[in-house]
Amino acid sequence: MDSLLSVFPSKDFSLLGIILAAPLLGAFVNGVWGRRLGRDAVRLMAITAIAVSFGAALLTFLALDREVTHAGHGHVKLAWTAWDWLYTTGKSETQIPIALRFSVDALSGVMMLVITGVGLLIHIYASTYMWDDKSYWRFFCYLNLFVFSMLVLVLGDNMPLLFVGWEGVGLCSYLLIGFWYGKMANAAAGKKAFIANRIGDFGLICAMFLFVHYTGALDWNGIEAGSGSLVTVNEATQVHVWPIGGGQFTGFLKFLQPDSPITITAATAVGLALLLGATGKSAQIPLYVWLPDAMAGPTPVSALIHAATMVTAGIYLICRLNFVFVLAPGVMATVAVIGAATAFLAATIALVQNDIKKVLAYSTVSQLGFMFLGVGMGAFTAGFFHVFTHAFFKACLFLGAGSVIHGMHARIHDDDKAQDMRKMGGLRKYMPLTFWTFLISTAAIVGFPLTSGFFSKDEILFKTMTTELVHPDAERLGKKVTFVQSLWGARDPSHFYVPPAWLGTALYWVGIAAATMTAFYMSRVVILTFFGEFRGWKLGRPSQIDAHEAAAHDDAHGDDAHGDDDGEHHHEEDLTKPGYAPHESPRPMTIPLILLAVFAAFAGILNPGLLKHFGLPLPLEHWLEPLFEESVKVGVHAKEGAEHMELMCTAGAFGAFAVGVGLAYWVYVVQKGAPAKQWAEAAPKLYKLLLDKWRVDEAYEASVLSGVDALADTATSVDKGVVDGILARLTALLVAAFGTILRALQTGVVHVYAGMMVVGLAGLGWFFVMPHPDGHVVEKGSGDYSIVAAPGVGYGYIWAEDGAKKPEKEVFSGTAAFPLHVEPGNTKKVELKVRNAFGIVGTKTFEVTAPAKAAPAEVIEMGQNGHGS
Amino acid sequence: MIPVEYYVGLSAILFLIGGIGFLVRRNVLVALMSIEVMLNATNLALVAFNRQHAQVHTGQVLSFFVIAVAAAEAAVGLAIVLSFFRLKRTVRSDEADLLRN
Repeated sequence: MDSLLSVFPSKDFSLLGIILAAPLLGAFVNGVWGRRLGRDAVRLMAITAIAVSFGAALLTFLALDREVTHAGHGHVKLAWTAWDWLYTTGKSETQIPIALRFSVDALSGVMMLVITGVGLLIHIYASTYMWDDKSYWRFFCYLNLFVFSMLVLVLGDNMPLLFVGWEGVGLCSYLLIGFWYGKMANAAAGKKAFIANRIGDFGLICAMFLFVHYTGALDWNGIEAGSGSLVTVNEATQVHVWPIGGGQFTGFLKFLQPDSPITITAATAVGLALLLGATGKSAQIPLYVWLPDAMAGPTPVSALIHAATMVTAGIYLICRLNFVFVLAPGVMATVAVIGAATAFLAATIALVQNDIKKVLAYSTVSQLGFMFLGVGMGAFTAGFFHVFTHAFFKACLFLGAGSVIHGMHARIHDDDKAQDMRKMGGLRKYMPLTFWTFLISTAAIVGFPLTSGFFSKDEILFKTMTTELVHPDAERLGKKVTFVQSLWGARDPSHFYVPPAWLGTALYWVGIAAATMTAFYMSRVVILTFFGEFRGWKLGRPSQIDAHEAAAHDDAHGDDAHGDDDGEHHHEEDLTKPGYAPHESPRPMTIPLILLAVFAAFAGILNPGLLKHFGLPLPLEHWLEPLFEESVKVGVHAKEGAEHMELMCTAGAFGAFAVGVGLAYWVYVVQKGAPAKQWAEAAPKLYKLLLDKWRVDEAYEASVLSGVDALADTATSVDKGVVDGILARLTALLVAAFGTILRALQTGVVHVYAGMMVVGLAGLGWFFVMPHPDGHVVEKGSGDYSIVAAPGVGYGYIWAEDGAKKPEKEVFSGTAAFPLHVEPGNTKKVELKVRNAFGIVGTKTFEVTAPAKAAPAEVIEMGQNGHGS
Repeated sequence: MIPVEYYVGLSAILFLIGGIGFLVRRNVLVALMSIEVMLNATNLALVAFNRQHAQVHTGQVLSFFVIAVAAAEAAVGLAIVLSFFRLKRTVRSDEADLLRN
């Protein structure tokens, strides 16, 4: 390890370059040559690229650990500057460098391992899952590119570089959601994800502008160093919310001008902007709507991008900039409230969905909400721990669902039907490995004691219950106000808002409710999919299956080209005929499942918060502590008696698990699903509302989208009417009219052209023969002028001032310029005679008027003269 | 020695004859010949004026250039007339109106 550090010193740790370059190379090779390389080579390239990246990431992690041990504290960063990228100009002309610089510290180190590790497993899984797809190479090109972008996002040492990765993963997400773009719905889902993310990106860009302005830096260390200037009591240095940007309303708009402008601190503005970005990427209210639709992509994509890695970027961002967020407790509370609300809302929707991937999608949204709840309440370690464990169990769940769909596809070729849990059932017997891994991951997500999800979710809920947010600058600032006062009270820039202490308790109960629902719907998924009787098609012994069916079965074996646009083999089979039972997936798909399930079960050991009283260490918390220590110290305050609440909180979380799972067992196993039907019939409207996902999409359609549509229609009519109709047509008409007139002159007869030439030459000759008396007056000041005549070949001039004596004989010997003095207020006339080389004389008269001068100027002049004499 | 005015006068008369011929006659060959007359009128003027300056030969040299250009022009012009005749079976210039409007 020492030799590794001697090759890669911590200031120039170029091993990061290998971590990044390997997936990029894989994407390049597969993208450019993939079509000709064939499936085997594409698979080799893609998996090798990620494996190399994962190996380098492991080495990096070990080196980082070594450095941390060596330094004795956790503020260690291994950094590598690829090159200086560009500079931007900050306040008072300071140059802010934006380097292409990557760094790895405790937080990004863990993320990096998750991305490459889970990424590797999912690549292996996908190499079999996607085998029959005709765009195999394209899939792995995108997937490698995604890993690269995600690594840029995580390893980037400054905000713009994070943004590059942020956009890169957004692009790959879009490409992979719409991977089977032949179906309109898939393409639409890709666009939806892309556009929802763009709204979030707007917030991220605003945050960058504010960072440049207020902190004068864009790299993490610089932002941290300059974060003090984000909180000020001076109104002028705060962000003006109304009037926007600190303007003034005048005239008839004056009633809009408040007595004193509404301002928020820069920390609040930055926090809200970052939060907008995070809600977009991490699928939180109000921008969560894209994630459920994103399940249109291939299942490994759902596992890697839309469950394990990309969607956690928002939580990563908040953890990364925790020192900014704690400066604005109001924003922290907003993060927590949004998280809890999303966790609850998504869980209610997941209760009634029938599509296995849809349930998992809403479950992801819900779990992301838990993470937001954690980081919003200042429990950064707990929130991030949930990112970590969620990556394993949710990836495993998605891959398990993929395995199930793969099995169902043997005879049901329609996507939606193959994913419908009402067609499944009893798969436990036919797909034992899938069943057990799915069960273990479900145990983790529902919080079965001692699994990874139990520890991480419990930690979040415990921290939510026992902490209250405080303002780190409370002493420096003025008066604390309530939320209502902060909006409508007498405004004073030194007032600050701190969320009330009961917020944590309230959010805890929302979280418990969401956790209960999670336990219920996940148990429902397991029971409907793996228990009971198989409902997909009639099962029969092989002897009952005729030769044709057997051949079709072989043909469909491992065929997973769902969503393909060719549709040739999408003939629906007669499911009432007996057929083979669904079979277990091949080994490259089950091995990742097993590994992920092992992690899902045991990853909790990294941070068993509940068991610390039994003397177990908390490696992850210890590992991440240096990053969050300062923020937690100033921004979060543990309630009194927090230690004693731990067991109670755990009991609550365990209760949620027990109630949810027990209820699901009673409804779907003991009562065979009868109560679920009764409830749906008892409250049909509510059931329909949940099934329609609270009709949020429809609400957006009616409000935002129709507004945009109306705007687009207006623009179209203006374009068609004004631009096309008037501007373009009028110009064309003018040109055509001139053309018609000029065309008449174009007789095509040579003699007419010759005649025109003669006329033109005669005109030119006349111009040269006649003299041109012309000139302009130059003012020289204090009444002096000079008339300058236009020059010409062989010209002679005679100047005659009006009233002056005329000479006896006219001699054209004068110069081209004639000096003249005019008293103020007077006018003089000058006659100019010009004779040219042909002896022809022309005449022109100039009139020069001097403006009346202001009297005092003359007085001073006179006084000076008098003094001199 | 004949005064230069006589040469210039003759040149002007020749130029006028050429110009009017070009404008009035419809036969393309005659028009070409008219152009030749005009060119030679200028040549005459150039040479005549050049005689005023004993040491300088610019005018004479320029007239050689004009003769050379006139030869080239005649060649091209006759080629055009030939292809025009093949196209229209006539050499009347008012029949050549393909570029009309």
